[in-house]
Amino acid sequence: MPAIETHDLEREFEGSVKAVDGVDLAVQAGEIYGFLGPNGAGKTTTVRILTTLLQPTGGRAIVAGHDVATDPGSVRRAIGVALQEAALDPLMTGRELLDLQATLHGIPSSKRTALSIDLLERVGLTEAADRQVGTYSGGMRRRIDLASALVHAPEVLFLDEPTTGLDPVSRQAIWNEVERLNDEGTTVFLTTQYLEEADQLADRVGIISSGKIVAEGTPAELKSQVGSPHLEIAVEGGTEAAVSAEEALGEFGKILPPKDGRLQVEIAGGAGDISPVVRALDERGIAVASLELVRPTLDDVFVDKTGEHLEGSTTDPEPE
Amino acid sequence: MSASSISASLPVIRSLVGRSMNELFRVPGAAIPGVLAPTIFFLGLTAVFGNLALLPGFEADKYQSFIIPVSLMQGAAFTGAATGVNLARDIEQGWFDRLLASPAPRPVILAGLVYSASLRALIPGSVVICVGLAIGVRWPGFLGLLVATVMIMGLAATAATWGATLAFKFKTQSAAPLMQAGTLLAVLTTTAYAPLPLLTGWLKVVATYNPLTQVLEAVRQGFVGDVSWADTWPGLVALIGIWVFFTFLALRGMRKMTA
Amino acid sequence: MSGFRANLRVVGQLGRRSIRQTFRRPQLAAPLVVFPTILLAIQTAGAGRAVDLPQFPEVNGFLDFMLAGAMMQACMLAGNTGAIALALDIEMGFDDRLLAAPVSRYSLLLGRLMGTAVMGLLIAAWFIVIGLIFGVEFQSGILGVAWIFGCVATTAVAFGAIAASIALRTGKASVVQGLFPLIFVVLFLSTAFFPDNLMLQPAASIAKYNPLSFVVDGMREPIISGFSGSHTLRALVSMAGLLLIGFTLSTFALKSRLKRG
Repeated sequence: MPAIETHDLEREFEGSVKAVDGVDLAVQAGEIYGFLGPNGAGKTTTVRILTTLLQPTGGRAIVAGHDVATDPGSVRRAIGVALQEAALDPLMTGRELLDLQATLHGIPSSKRTALSIDLLERVGLTEAADRQVGTYSGGMRRRIDLASALVHAPEVLFLDEPTTGLDPVSRQAIWNEVERLNDEGTTVFLTTQYLEEADQLADRVGIISSGKIVAEGTPAELKSQVGSPHLEIAVEGGTEAAVSAEEALGEFGKILPPKDGRLQVEIAGGAGDISPVVRALDERGIAVASLELVRPTLDDVFVDKTGEHLEGSTTDPEPE
Repeated sequence: MSASSISASLPVIRSLVGRSMNELFRVPGAAIPGVLAPTIFFLGLTAVFGNLALLPGFEADKYQSFIIPVSLMQGAAFTGAATGVNLARDIEQGWFDRLLASPAPRPVILAGLVYSASLRALIPGSVVICVGLAIGVRWPGFLGLLVATVMIMGLAATAATWGATLAFKFKTQSAAPLMQAGTLLAVLTTTAYAPLPLLTGWLKVVATYNPLTQVLEAVRQGFVGDVSWADTWPGLVALIGIWVFFTFLALRGMRKMTA
Repeated sequence: MSGFRANLRVVGQLGRRSIRQTFRRPQLAAPLVVFPTILLAIQTAGAGRAVDLPQFPEVNGFLDFMLAGAMMQACMLAGNTGAIALALDIEMGFDDRLLAAPVSRYSLLLGRLMGTAVMGLLIAAWFIVIGLIFGVEFQSGILGVAWIFGCVATTAVAFGAIAASIALRTGKASVVQGLFPLIFVVLFLSTAFFPDNLMLQPAASIAKYNPLSFVVDGMREPIISGFSGSHTLRALVSMAGLLLIGFTLSTFALKSRLKRG
C-alpha cells in the first residue's frame, strides 16, 4: 500500500481559485518523493492538505493508510512535519522544544528525557540543547525542527523546503540526515525549489504547475524525456572545417542543430565517447577550440514541462 | 471525556502553560506593561475620583476599596487579551501549525492557552492588591480574597477565549487593539465607577444588563462589605456563561482554520 | 529663498505622509480617537454625579467638564503616535533615506510635527462635534472653539516634539510605546478629569502646579464659563514652555543622532 496516495485531489479557495486541481499521487513506503514547483504552483497547499492542516475541497488523500479528511487524528499520529520557515519559539531551548513536541504526541515523561538526548545527538545539537532557539543559526534551527518532527518515529516525514536559505555545509548536513532516515525506512515527502536537492535525494520527482502534476518519474526518467547527453564542440577554421567535423561527428550519434556557432551531437556513451570523438576530429586535421559534455538537468525538464525556470534553481537559467 | 484522556491531556496543558510562562521569565520586563497599566489606573482613578465616595448612596467608605476590583478585572482582562495577541503572533509565524499538525485534541490545545492566561492574571492581581492594601484598601478577608481570585482567573480565561476567537478569525496581531478594546469596554461598562443607582444615562442601562457587572460585584463584595453566596453565584453563573460561549466560538474558529 | 521653499515643500510632503501613515495603520489611529472617546463616554456616565459634589465648578453637565480632558488625552496620544512612527522609520532605515536627501534635516522633524499638528486639529474637531451632538454649550462661542483648536494642535506638537526626542535618541519604537503609561500618570496628576480641589492628596497638590492643568483649564474655561484672563494667560505661557522644551529636546536629539551617524 502506498504511504501517500491522492486521487483527484482538489483545493479551491474563495473566488474559485483552484490551488490544487486534480492531483494524483502514489508515494510508496520507503521512498523519498521530491515535489517541485514554483511559488504559487500548489506545492504548499498540497502539503498542508496531506498534513491535515487544510481540508481538501475535492478528491481524496490517504496518508499512512488513513484518510486526511475523515481520520485526521490517525494521520497526525503517523506523520512528522517540518514546515517551511521553521516555526520555532525563540524563547524555548532546543531540549524544551523536543520535550513539548513529545508531549503533544503523548509520549510518557519517563521516555521523553532519553528521547530528547538521542535526537539532539542525532542532529548534532547536544551542546546547544539548553540554549534558547533564538540564538541558533539557520542551519541549527532546521536541524532542531527536523529533530522535533522525529520525536514519535513517524512513518511518513513531510519536509517543506527544509534547506531554503541554508549555506552549503548546513544543507549537506540536512541531506545526510534525510538519507539516513530514509535508509531506516521512513518515507519522505520533500518539497524543494532546489533542483540539485531533488536530483540528489529523491527516488522519484513530481512537478506541479498551476495546481496540476505535469511530470512524474525518477530524475533519470524525467531527464531522458527531454533529451540525451550531447557534446557541444567549437572547431577552428572556416565552413570547410565545420562541414568535415559534422561528417565525423555523424558517426557517433544524431547531429543536433548548431547552437551559437557550436556543433552539437548526441552521444549514447556519455563521457566515454569523448576521447573517440576527439581522436576522430584529430585524424581529419580539425583543431578543437572547445568541447563540453552537456547532460539534461531537472531544470531542462522543468522548462520543458512548465515553460519556466524554477525560482531558486541552482542551475543558472539560460539567457532569453 | 474519560479519566484516561484527561490524564493524557494534563502533560500537554502543562507544557503549553510552561511555554507561555517562558515569556515572563526570559524576556526582561515582559510582565511590566501588564502590571503597570492596571496599577496606574487604580492609583489614578483613586486620586482623581476619590471624593465620589462622599456622594450619598455610595456603598464604600473609601473609593480605593470600591475601585480596586475594577483594576483587578482590568489586569485579568488585559492578560487574557494578551494571550489572544500572542496566539495571533504564533499563527502568523507558523508556530501554531506545529500544534495543529500534532495529534493533541483541539480542546486541550485551547485549554493550555486559557489556563496559562488564568495563571498569568495572578501577577497583576497580586501587585494591585498589595498596592491597594498599602494605600488603605479594606482587607477583604480570606474568603473575599478567594472569591476575587477565582473570579479574576475565570475572567482571564474568558478574555483569553475572546482573544483566541479573534486570533483564529483574523490570524494577525493587527487585531490586538480589538482584543484589548473589547475587554476594556466590557469591564468598564459595568458599575466600575459608581454603584448602579449613581450611574447616569446609557451606562446605567448597559451596566444593568452587562453580565460582567455581576462578576465585578462578586469580586467587590469582600472589599466593601461581607461576602455572601447571594452576591457570589450570579457572578459565577455569568462568568461560566460567557466562558462557555467564547470557548465554543474559539473551538469553532480553530476548526475553521484547517477547513 | 528657493532653498526655503524646497524645505517648506518637504515639510508639507512629510506632514502628509505622516497623516497617511496614521490612517493606514489602524493600530496607530485607533488609540488616538477610539480610546479617549470610550473613556470619555464611560467616565461621563460613570462619574457624572460628581457634579453634585460641593465645590464642583458650575457646569451644565459632566461632559462639559470632561471634554477638555479627553482632548488633552487624545492630543498627547497623537504626539506619542507620531513619535512611534518616527522610531519605526529609524528602525526600518527609512530615516536614513530622508537624511541622505539634499534638504535641511530639521525639515524632516518639522514634517513629522506638522502631521501631528494636523492630527491635533482633527482630534479637536472630533471632540467638538461630539460635544455639540451631546449638548455641550461652548460658552465663548466661535472664538472659544477656535482657541480650543489652537490649544489642541499646539499641545499635540509640544508633546510630539518631546516624544520625538526620545524616538531620535533611542531609535526604538518599543521605548516610545512604553511612554503610554507615563501619559496617563501625567493626566491623572492634572485637572484633566477632575477639579484639583476635589482630588485626593498628594495628587491634588501636584495637579495644582502641573503645567498640563493650566493648559486643560485654559481649554475648559471657554466651554464651561467663558474666557478668563488669568486662565488663558497661564495656558498660553504653559503651552509656550512645553513647546520650548519639546523643540529644544528634539533639536538636541536630532543633532546627537546626526553626529552619531
